[in-house]
Amino acid sequence: MMTTHCSRRKFLGAAGAAVGAWLARPAMFLARPAPAERVAVGMCPDYGPRVMSTLATMFDQLGGLDKLVRGKTVAIKLNLTGDAHTRLGYTPASLTHWVHPDVIGSTVHLLGQAGATRIRLLESPIITAEPLQEFMLEANWEPRQFLSAAPRVEFENTNFLGYGKKYSRFMVPGGGLMFAGYDLNHSYEDCDVFISLAKLKEHFTAGVTLTMKNCFGMTPCTIYGDGSGVDEPSLVPMGGRGPFHSGQRQPSKSAPPMVDRSGIKEGGYRVPRVVADLVAARPVHLGIIDGIHTMTGGEGPWVGKGKHVRPGVLVAGTNCVNTDAVCMALMGFDPMADRGTPPFETSDSTLRLAESLGVGTRDLRRIEVVGTPISKARFDFRRA
Amino acid sequence: MKWPCGPLDLSQQGNAPTSELKDTLAAWAQPAALELLKGTPINCLVVEWAAGNSDDSGQQQTLKPLIEAGRRTGISFAGKVAAGPAMAAAVQSARAAGISAVVLDQLPKEPLDLPVIRRFPQDGMAWDAATPIFSATGLDWPGLKLDTMHGDTAVAGPTGVPWVNSNAWFSLLGRELAPGKIRWLDFDPPEETRHPATYSMAVADSEAYGSRWIISLSNDFRGALLKGIPQVTAAWHETCDTLDFFEHHRDWQEFQSEGILAVISDYRGDHAFLSNEVLNLLNRNREQFRIIERSETLSKPLTGLKAILWLDGTTPTEAQLADLLGFVRQGGLLIAPAYWGPAGASEQIRDPAIDYRMYNVEKGQIAVPVEGFVNPYQVAVDAHLLASRRNDLVRLFNPATTNCHATYDPARKAQLVQIVNYSAQPADFVTLWVRNHARAGRLWKPGAPGAASISGSAAEPFSGAAAPGTEFDLPAIAVACAVEIEGSNS
Repeated sequence: MMTTHCSRRKFLGAAGAAVGAWLARPAMFLARPAPAERVAVGMCPDYGPRVMSTLATMFDQLGGLDKLVRGKTVAIKLNLTGDAHTRLGYTPASLTHWVHPDVIGSTVHLLGQAGATRIRLLESPIITAEPLQEFMLEANWEPRQFLSAAPRVEFENTNFLGYGKKYSRFMVPGGGLMFAGYDLNHSYEDCDVFISLAKLKEHFTAGVTLTMKNCFGMTPCTIYGDGSGVDEPSLVPMGGRGPFHSGQRQPSKSAPPMVDRSGIKEGGYRVPRVVADLVAARPVHLGIIDGIHTMTGGEGPWVGKGKHVRPGVLVAGTNCVNTDAVCMALMGFDPMADRGTPPFETSDSTLRLAESLGVGTRDLRRIEVVGTPISKARFDFRRA
Repeated sequence: MKWPCGPLDLSQQGNAPTSELKDTLAAWAQPAALELLKGTPINCLVVEWAAGNSDDSGQQQTLKPLIEAGRRTGISFAGKVAAGPAMAAAVQSARAAGISAVVLDQLPKEPLDLPVIRRFPQDGMAWDAATPIFSATGLDWPGLKLDTMHGDTAVAGPTGVPWVNSNAWFSLLGRELAPGKIRWLDFDPPEETRHPATYSMAVADSEAYGSRWIISLSNDFRGALLKGIPQVTAAWHETCDTLDFFEHHRDWQEFQSEGILAVISDYRGDHAFLSNEVLNLLNRNREQFRIIERSETLSKPLTGLKAILWLDGTTPTEAQLADLLGFVRQGGLLIAPAYWGPAGASEQIRDPAIDYRMYNVEKGQIAVPVEGFVNPYQVAVDAHLLASRRNDLVRLFNPATTNCHATYDPARKAQLVQIVNYSAQPADFVTLWVRNHARAGRLWKPGAPGAASISGSAAEPFSGAAAPGTEFDLPAIAVACAVEIEGSNS
């Protein structure tokens, strides 16, 4: 029992991607160029009150949150990768590999101010089905701060069925690069606006993890995890998303099948395709990147060569490929790079793949950057 | 410390003991071997005295000079005596040889001339029959479970948490069910090769939770120790430093376990498996808890508790129920196998991941598992979530191979958090978080001459939010350390 969610929810003026066309034609034969939207860059040297004002300015530069969220249910996929107690050295996760609570709280507050009627904070904490608030508490966070930032804020752990009665099905326009579609927690369907709120980071497997790669964590491990059910989803998540990386097993048979026939079992090939599929199937209306504090060298302390850094930058955009392209440039990388070139030494470019699906362009010449110019905000991750 | 050295010990080593093993036992039978104990806190040796077979006489002859030499240096001896018709005679001979106490699996009908140290299997503990000093067998060798190891390093990552074997739960339970008695944990190093540093880990896992390990060295280690192999000698010194550390802090044994969750059971018979496993897993999850023996429910103060987990299917007595419901009415959470509250209470589902029926009773709640208490792991996890991490008293960051035990002194003027590292590799970058707002503490660790002052910092707050507690960034932890903080969490 699935809800097939092939069409994008009524999109908003500010997002403006030509989605309808995707549904009718194979991905690789798009006639029109991939969308290019405005991306805002704001300098913010540290966390604290200035985060709110910087984000407010950036959202205004994008055309205003009101048009996007007034009267709408907004879902925000957070980036809280790994467990709640692993730190890079002594540095708290929110200063290295997790989105900082000030960025979440400020975003929630501004969304509420802009008229969002309901705001759902979503994440699939690793291995566990525990309430998202408990996961946050384990990291010394206080989820009540988010509840008080706007009216009607809710939390959901999307690593399993959660509060839903059934999983929602998102088919990939054009048939998909890795899977034909994905079964996700109902919260990714039961929203009018979907926001990916991520961190500015490199990634061991995929080169970079930004607004798009953050969506990898939408997938429930009850279906896509190491210990998922063979025929039907397991009741609770067991293990991580190893099968997406290695292809050593298939998702539960209840989910749409794999369409990639290459037989390649390499994470650098598979993960970018899964991510591109996901953002094509479940479009991101607003991407926000926390690059105030972050880490170099990978997506989390477990990668083993990371360093806490302070680029002091926030990025937001209504097209996730465009946003990630600007982020890559800010990190000192060429967004047109592909396998063999940093940061994609061992992986394909998620940006190129998503572009090929018509999600958005990675060509900086076509992307309008507002706020701080890239040249003034650049922070070279490989030289930090 | 176990001191195998004679024919009885040799006969227990299997059919074909090597000449090297024979040499090791012979060397350890020499009084000169006692030199190893000089300057250490080890003051009692446990020896095989009588198994009721033909090797007994040779064993006792072998031990005679050792006992005489040991007693001259203040070392006492406890002799293991097997049950059987010759038990009384064996005890008499032990006494005559200068042995101070006997270790017995069963008590004879007639009184004996020597104090008895009763030995129980862990899964057959007769708590009410515990002697002033008692020992337990069948316990785990503390440390990382082997299938989570890669060499000496724990395999950990975003998806992997190393599994730790620990006897902490047994020590904590023994403290409650046999109060005032001294627990000797009787477990031996496993057959497979181990990093020698794990001996100090075995000491720390026992002592940090109030028990004593009967030191038991492998034959290989003992052979190498007498030969002066540097790595083994260093490991021996580290083990003695760890013993010395806890010996110098005997007062910590009087500290009380801190916890906002109380676990109630009789911990016996049919209830033993579930209750023991739940304690083990709560500890494994670093949840701080208090243990209450079911019959003691009314006599234990409930101060500071947020939740009570009543594990047994047995319904509370009328007086116990009144006490429990009083706790609930004042805002507490009772987690119980059945609903025992007043009729008409409203039911609500708390969370899809926690399969409990929740009943509101005045200011508090009663939580009843939909499918009963079945899986101890799930019970432990759910209990922590139902009580909420918001009420945690301590947390560790980068804890991978460590665990902690929070206590407070009898006057409640100081909090003590002991941390044990279960890896042979030092635990780096561990941060201790405590609810306590004191910003300074003292750090104790084995091998250090005294306490070092450490500064805490306010846990990173949100904008405009109160700082939730204090974090202490700890230096690398080799085996164990303790952080003493003025004030308490309450």
